[in-house]
Amino acid sequence: MINFLTYFCLISGLIFWLWGTPVLFQKRSILYKLHSLSVADTLGSILIVVGLSLKIPSELPLLILAIISLTIWNTMLGYVLAYSANNQEEKSDG
Amino acid sequence: MILTLLIPIYQTWHEDNVWQKMVAVSSISSKVSIITLVISVLRDDWMMGVVGVIIITVGNAGLMLLAHLLKKIGENDSTQLIINN
Repeated sequence: MINFLTYFCLISGLIFWLWGTPVLFQKRSILYKLHSLSVADTLGSILIVVGLSLKIPSELPLLILAIISLTIWNTMLGYVLAYSANNQEEKSDG
Repeated sequence: MILTLLIPIYQTWHEDNVWQKMVAVSSISSKVSIITLVISVLRDDWMMGVVGVIIITVGNAGLMLLAHLLKKIGENDSTQLIINN
């Protein structure tokens, strides 16, 4: 059962990666790309790390630290990039 | 995983707009850190695991500072053309 859950989390995380990353190829706005990347990178990565922690419970503290820092830092970086990039585009359009 | 890592690397090389490049580079940083964590679990080598977690934190923090720098630089009209070309 644990093995099934582990591989289910790893594969669904990888599916999120594969779903969100090809958006980079499209000629879309930065906010659109940031949204799909934050879903892919943050959510997909957290699923992968949850799968890893199910695989080796002995290193749970380190992997929980990875999940917490992923959640905080990826979200903040997405916000800062959106804020900075959006400011620039308004200025260059204006 | 390596395949999904190649997409933002190609995009970073191919894209001209600095903000699109920044979005791709931030995607590279979080993917590399997760791949490091996966390899450390497979090898059961926890020094690599710590390095993976440090990459998550410091990589994103560094990119945040760089974004602020680019924003400040972009606010000067003289450098505006450089940023947007």
